[in-house]
Order: sequence, then structure tokens, then C-alpha cells
Amino acid sequence: MTMTYEGVNRQAVAELVDILGPERVVVTPQGRLIRAMVPAPFPFHRWADEAPELAVLPETTEEVVAIVKLANRLRIPIVPRAGATGLNDGAKPNRGGIVVDTKRMNKVLEVDTTDWTVTIQPSINMLKLNEYLAPHGVWYPDDPASYPVSIVSGRIGTGGWSLLGSRYGHVRDNVISMEVVLPTGDLLEVGQGGGRKIRHSSTGYRLKDLFLGHQGTLGIATQATLELYPRPEAEFPAFFGYESFEAGYRAMQPFCRSNLATLAGVILFDERKVQYLRRDDEAYIPEPESLQSIVAVAAYGSEGEVAAARDRLMRIGAETGGRYLGEELSELDWASRHDRYATPLHGRSRDRAVHMSWHCEDAAITYSQLPFVKRRWHEIADRYIAEHEVFDNWGMFFYTNNAYKGWGDFLVEIDIGIWEQRLDEASWRAWTDMKREITQASLDAGGSISACHGATREGEVELVPAELGGQFDLMLKLKRMLDPNNIMNPGKYLLDRAYEDGGG
Amino acid sequence: MTRIPDVEGSDLVPRDPDVLSIGDRAAAEAATRKLAEGYEDRAWGCMSSRHKFCREPCPVYQVTRNEQHTSYGFHATVAAMSQGLVDLEDAYEQYAYCTQCGACELRCPNTLFTGDFYRNRTQLVQLVKAVRAAGVEAGIERASWKRWNDDTVAFRNELQGDPAQVAGWADDLDLPRGGETILFCDCMAAYRQTKVPRAVSLLLREAGVEVGLMNDQWCCGGPALEMGYTDIFEQFARHNLEDWRQAGAKRVVTLDPHDYIAFVEDYPRLFGDYGIEVLHITDLLAELIEQGKLRLERPIPVSVTYHDPCRLNKRRGIWESPRKLLRAIPGLEFRDVDHVTQWSMCSGAGGGLPVALPEVAEKVARNRLDLARPVGADVLASACVWAEDHLERVAAADGAMPVVDITVLAAMSAGLLEAEPWLAEVARNREAAQSTAGALGASRGEEERQ
Repeated sequence: MTMTYEGVNRQAVAELVDILGPERVVVTPQGRLIRAMVPAPFPFHRWADEAPELAVLPETTEEVVAIVKLANRLRIPIVPRAGATGLNDGAKPNRGGIVVDTKRMNKVLEVDTTDWTVTIQPSINMLKLNEYLAPHGVWYPDDPASYPVSIVSGRIGTGGWSLLGSRYGHVRDNVISMEVVLPTGDLLEVGQGGGRKIRHSSTGYRLKDLFLGHQGTLGIATQATLELYPRPEAEFPAFFGYESFEAGYRAMQPFCRSNLATLAGVILFDERKVQYLRRDDEAYIPEPESLQSIVAVAAYGSEGEVAAARDRLMRIGAETGGRYLGEELSELDWASRHDRYATPLHGRSRDRAVHMSWHCEDAAITYSQLPFVKRRWHEIADRYIAEHEVFDNWGMFFYTNNAYKGWGDFLVEIDIGIWEQRLDEASWRAWTDMKREITQASLDAGGSISACHGATREGEVELVPAELGGQFDLMLKLKRMLDPNNIMNPGKYLLDRAYEDGGG
Repeated sequence: MTRIPDVEGSDLVPRDPDVLSIGDRAAAEAATRKLAEGYEDRAWGCMSSRHKFCREPCPVYQVTRNEQHTSYGFHATVAAMSQGLVDLEDAYEQYAYCTQCGACELRCPNTLFTGDFYRNRTQLVQLVKAVRAAGVEAGIERASWKRWNDDTVAFRNELQGDPAQVAGWADDLDLPRGGETILFCDCMAAYRQTKVPRAVSLLLREAGVEVGLMNDQWCCGGPALEMGYTDIFEQFARHNLEDWRQAGAKRVVTLDPHDYIAFVEDYPRLFGDYGIEVLHITDLLAELIEQGKLRLERPIPVSVTYHDPCRLNKRRGIWESPRKLLRAIPGLEFRDVDHVTQWSMCSGAGGGLPVALPEVAEKVARNRLDLARPVGADVLASACVWAEDHLERVAAADGAMPVVDITVLAAMSAGLLEAEPWLAEVARNREAAQSTAGALGASRGEEERQ
């Protein structure tokens, strides 16, 4: 069985206008073109081919149900789009069709200050949600680099990772339950079991995780109940400089195993990242050239706990040969952690400053394999950069990756600048080839292709079956069961294979 | 490359009927090419980031939640125009969704960290003006903006007021014409919010500052430029500058931020350094208070929060002097909302938005008023007559708090103006609230005793 799709036709437009009114059906060229992409690398040289046929802006669960039922009946591809700030490409269409842009679904439905939950329409931004929650003395701690702009439903779709995850958990830990519109238009309440505010139960299968990180292939979240935490009374960030990457790498381990419950995250910068940050006059220039690596740590919690953590972290910094970079740099750099590291104006093509996009290739890698992956990724990137002027190496970060603890595997990231304005088919091929080599190196190290963004893009998705083995076959079966007509974000994660003869 | 083809059935989604296209295709294509060439590089500066930090602070996006109505949405359109995928008419329709408040420019990572170093700050306001001007040049116009600007030309002010009465508000104030310091009164202030120029004139007289009026004040021309009518802006600007020069002006004092920004940003682009100092009234009054030349002694027993006008705070960095002014008023409880927090706020009154898209502009105002309520103030003060007029109308419809210009508060405190009626109403509301709280407290005490 292979799937054939109908394009958006007059009947579909008419029905969508009936459901939403004309003002929430977007057919303009600019409205379609902007929804062709996310911050992930994008082939601008064939922009028009990547655009959806139209976009819709629903406001209610009922409208989403009606849109999905229409698409399922007429066999029109449908792509959920939330904040569209991801570095994976879940929110862009691979087969045209209808983009369901959920940003208008951003109402706070209930703040429960007794059982400490907030129930929302999930397309609210986390910063805005926390502004709303502030008078109640609580907060929702999900803190990705895109914190000021990304929105909860997109975080659900990607199963996102948080900079503060070692203290407060990641998205999968903090979404308690959801209402999901399935590809058939059926509505599913999914959680841990029991009512929507139960955090832990042993009844039945753990199905909630299926709807966290599916990249828009299994449904559209229209309501979510989230965990709340007390607002931290204190936070303490500290940046330590080291004279080599190896010294920083060795220092990371004692920070991660410091036995501090308030430890929110540990970040290691390699020497190429430090060099990148020295490209302008405002970052790390006061630091001597001998500074080649940085370890940043942060503790969050009550005042007493954070004060104690501060002493221990400062002691570990000194014992590992780190030089404390001072309160001003530590506090300001930590405060600007969302904005700081991805400025296109730092791009260099050879030695020329050009506008480059930031592309973060990430993987989950165990501590022992970090030096191997660092060496391999830089070798791969530098080889492609030598041949193609559209690429640039912006260095690497290594972050604590696990919920409520600092040890285990790490989120590893290499940042590649891409001069997208100059992309053509040859350099796009080179990009996907580079990506494939980077991905293979992660698998060679026993790692996972992606720790936080997902793995649906060309250059990585081909290796997903190799990483997942029998789990991938189960993914195909689940996809076909939940989406019999393959209308929900078709073409992602090689899930089309579920509909081929013998597939699924 | 050609424009991306329409989807079948797209005619069922009507285009904005306010947009009129009467030019020829060749003119539009030429204007598109010119725009793309002029702004393509900047558009790629934005597109290369694509992280959209500009989005949540945008007051229009907060209403429409539509990606197109953001700085990156606008820049994406220019990038698409450079590939021939979008027509000028498409862009022109989209580009109405902006108040030119400047929030996106401040919140752009390209501006925040490295924009100045690389001389590549994001400049959305200039881009919006350029696209609108390109439309007008190519015969693509909004009927609403065309009507507004035709009327402004006919009346030489935006309120369709009798041009002979542009200084009618000052008939009994005996203000001179001309002089070294000219008070530029603004169209809205001259014809509708007249208590503001009266308050300003009385305050300056009290402080011993001699100001004169223009011989024949015309609209500053800034709003025409914001809507894309470059020729009209130039006509007004040339007239006003000539009037100032004939008056022997060395300094112009503005009482509205739209005039101020036209004089300090747009006039210099046309004339270069034209040799006349431009000063906003809040800066001048704060200075006079500090120098002890103006004394605010009559208590104003209200709780006030302040709305930062976008063109002062976000675009010119003027946020301290209005706060100094409010803090100088005895008895007034000032409940401040930080000026950086206010980057995300806007009255909705600027950039031609209320003319082209009044429903959107009203929702922007409603959002601003909703944010003022939890601050717990009795009154929302501001320093922009256009914002105040717009907020006042929406607030009146919603039963929200009174909106007042800070110069009026200052003039009341200086004993130069009688207390306005809203002051008594606020006092009555406070008394009622206190007696309700007292009654509740008494009955609660009763219950506890039982």
C-alpha cells in the first residue's frame, strides 16, 4: 500500500473558511512561505517548493478536531506548527498541505495553587506563562535556549530539553497530562493514569511519552496540565576558566557529582567555542589567551541551600584548577544564556564577516566518549569547511543531560554557521553529507543522534533505524495504527515506510 | 522566479478591501526590485537568526498571534521578494500590521549583543516605512490611509480642525508668536486633548520659560511618513522648518512623542543638521523641577502607574524624566512598571494602525489596559496625547481606569489647573472600597467572635 495525497482544493478551502472564518485561513504567499521553515538549516534556493498550500490558525480544540477530520477525510497532509523555533524540522511541511499553526491557543485555563498544577491551552510561551504565574509564587521551569519565544506545545512535540533540567527535570517530567487530537480527529486524554493531575501511577502502559517528542506525527496537543514549582529564592551561576579543554573536561565530573540537589546544570565550552566568542569586542576579550575552556555551573533553590551550594561549587572550581571568572561575567553571561551564543553576525566565510545561521547539531553521549566525539566532529566539520565557503565552525558545548542529576550522558552540541543566502544544491548536499558523518560518529560512540531537538532531518533521519533497531519497527506499527491515512506530518522520521507493502 | 502560485480556492479568502492597487505592474516590479536591493542584506541578517525573540514583545503579534505580523515575518517577505516569490501588493497589505513601536529592534539578538559592533542593528521601523512608501509610489495604497492623508493635506492637521484655529486652545493664554523657544503643539493636542498644551504652557510660564507659538503650525508630517506618504511629509517638514526659522527659533519643545521623533529622526534625514535644538517636554519639566524653578506643592492623592510611550522609551531612551516628574508630585503614589518590561507594551495608537486596522489597534489598547489593572493604580498616566486619546476611548468603553497626561497632573499639583473630575471619582471609589473592606472586616470579626 502506498499513500497518495490530494492537494488542497476548493472544497477544502471552503470548509476551512466555514470552520474558522476567512481571517484565520492564510493563503497569501508570504503567509505560506514563512511557514515553510524553522530555524533548522533550510534550502532557500528552493523555498517555493517547500511551502505549504495554506495555513490555518485555530483557537479551540473543537476547531482543531474539525480541521483534522477534514484533512483525514480529504487525504490532505497536515502539519502541526507551534512556536516554530526548533532546530529540528518537525514544524515544516515535507508534502505541502495544511499547516495548523496553533499560536492562538494560548489561554491559561486554570492555576491550581492547592495541587500545584497549571492547565493551559499549550501554545503559550514559557516566559509569558511565568509572568502569569508570578503573583502566585510558582513557576514552570522549562528553560531551553529559546525560552523567551518557544511555546509549550512545540516543546511537547519535540520532547524538549531544559538548561535547568538537572534540578527541575525536562519537558517529559513536567507535562503531567495532555489532551491530544489524534490524526483521525479523535480526542485522547493521556497522562500518567488517573485524573489529569496525577503524576505517578502504575495502571496500564506509560503512553504519555508517546506524545512527547513525536515531531507532529501522532497528534496535536490542545490542552496540557503542567507541573509547578516554588519560585527559586536564589540562583548562583559561576563560570570557571581552564587552560585546556582536557582540564575543563576533567573538572566537569566533580561538579556533576557534587551531591548538590540544587545543581541545575553544568556546561563545558571547548576551545573552539571560546575562540568563536572572541570574534567581537564584548565576549571574553578581557580573559587571557591561556583561557581555552570554560565550565559554567548554576544552582537554584532556597537561599540556605544555594548558599551552601555556592561554597561547595567554588571549592570544586579551585580544586580542579579553575579560575573563577568573577561575579559580573558569571551573572551576566548566565542571564543572557538564551540570546548570547547564536548571533549570525559572527559568521566568517574564510576571513570575511557574513550573515550566517546558527545550526546546532546535538547528540546524547556518555561522559567517557565526549573526547572522541569532540575530536571526530571537529575533524568532520573542518574538512567540509575547507571545501565549502558557506560553512563555519562555531565550537562545541557539553551540557548535563539528565533529569534531577548531573551525571550519566551529556548533551553534546557542535555549532555550525551556514551562509544560507549562498546555498545551492551542491552545498546543500555537502551540508547533509556533513550532518550524516556527524550523526554516524555519535552512533559509533554508542550515543543517540539527538538529545534535545529530534532527528527528522535529511542527513540524520536515514540513521534513525540503525539507532533504534526493533523500536523503529514498533514506531512504524504505532504510526499506521494511529494515523491510518498518513496525513499527520507525512514524510517525517521515515514513517512513510509504515504504509509501503510489507511495512508496519 | 515568479510569484508563488495561489492555491486553488484562495479566492474564497478575500483580500483586505482597504488595499487599492491602481498603479501599473511595471511600476510595482521596479519598486519591488528597488526595495529588495536596498533591504535584502538586512533581511538576511534577520533570516539568518530566525530565532524570533522579537515575537512575544510585539504588540500586534500579541493580538493576532500570526507569524507574518512580526519583524522576522516582515524580513522574510523581503527575502522572498528578492527571489521574486512575493509581490509588492502582498507585502504592502502585510506591512500595515505594525505600530512602529520599535520593541522588536530592541529585543533582536543582532541588536542586543553585536549589532553596533558590526554596524548591523535591526531597523524594522525604517523597513516598514520603506515598504509602505514603495507601495504608494507604485500606486498601491490603503483607502483609509489615503483618505487620512488627503484630509491632513486639506486641513494641514490630522484632526480635520479649522486651520485658522490651530492655536485656538491658547486664545486666553496670551502666548506670543515666535521667539527663541517654540512650543510645537501637535494636531491631537491642538484640537482634542487641549488641556495638555494648556497645562504645558502654564507650567512653562510658572517656571519662567518663555515660549512662543508658531506663526502657522502644520502637522509635523511624521505620521504621513509612517504611512508611506513621503511627499506629504516633506511638504509639511519644509513648511514647519521655514516657520521656525522665520520665528528666530533656537529651540523647539514638543509635547507629543510622535512630533519629537519626527523632528529628531525624520527631519535630519531630510535637512541634515538643521540647527534647532529639539527638546521633549518631560525632559524640560524634570530639569526645571530639579533646578527649583518649578514647584509641585499641591498633593494629588492618587495611585498612578505610567505608560511609557514607545517613541520615547523604546525608540529614544527617554524614560527617566517622566518618572522624575511623577515622583515629584506630593501625595501621589507612583506604582512603576519597569521601562524594560514595557518594551512589550504599546497603546496601539501609532504607525497608522488605528486608521487601517482599528479593531487590531483597539485590542492592543485593551491588552495595555489589562496589564495596568493588576498594578493596583487608580490612574494610568502617560506622556503621549495620541496614546492617551486612544486608550481613553477604549477605557471608557470598558469602564477601565482614567487615562491622563502627566503634564496635567503636574499642572494640578502646581496649582495651575483645577482638579479634574476623575480625581473626585477616584476618591469616591477609594472611600467606597475602604468602607466595604471595613464592613467586611467587621462582619468577619463578628463571625470569629461567634
